[in-house]
Amino acid sequence: MPDPMPEDNAPIRIQTRFGEFEADRQSLLEFPSGLPAFEQCRHFVLIESPALAPFQCLHATDGPPASFLVINPKLVLSDYRCKLSPADRERFQVTDDTPLAWLAVVLLKEDGEAFANLRAPVVINPARMVGYQVMPHDSLYPTRYPMVSE
Amino acid sequence: MLVVTRRRNEAIIIGEGIEVRVLRVGRDGVRIGITAPVHVPVNRAEIYELIKAENYEAATSQVPAGLLTRRLRPPVPGAEA
Repeated sequence: MPDPMPEDNAPIRIQTRFGEFEADRQSLLEFPSGLPAFEQCRHFVLIESPALAPFQCLHATDGPPASFLVINPKLVLSDYRCKLSPADRERFQVTDDTPLAWLAVVLLKEDGEAFANLRAPVVINPARMVGYQVMPHDSLYPTRYPMVSE
Repeated sequence: MLVVTRRRNEAIIIGEGIEVRVLRVGRDGVRIGITAPVHVPVNRAEIYELIKAENYEAATSQVPAGLLTRRLRPPVPGAEA
């Protein structure tokens, strides 16, 4: 896997649509298929910051510019449940007890409305630092689940 | 576009390791079985196009002014970070 960043443990500063943040080099994720509409983006960082909480920013470090706000879907819908298909499980190389991180892509509208895409979550295997956006065939969750703003 | 006629249980091989097989032909639809290597995601076209459009909008929409000071909250009580 090509390493788009030099080997160094110092945090890197990343300019995103949501502001400038620091990220650990260890948080560099590989997305072998990119994300739909951003198939050329193969590497992302997941930025955590108190300024973003409870959201995180999934920011592409290669390919065309791409920055997403994402959120743990269980914070949006507490009983959110999604199962990986056998093909997806194989793609992630997961066993039953492999902990996975689930993220819903957040859509912000200019009028202040915000939606979480619960239909196609981004799933990350932290053990391998690899991620895919999955589209379970039988999912009944909407792509635009409304979120409350204050 | 390559157009071929296939009957029930007949298949098409694409590249290495991708097989598309006709399992059943009905009046309103055709049931298809797809075998592909694990690194090749297989999705219904309309779902992929939908997610593509959603991702594009999510990555390009204007960030509302004062987003990070106004703080959006997910609707689950007590879930704030």
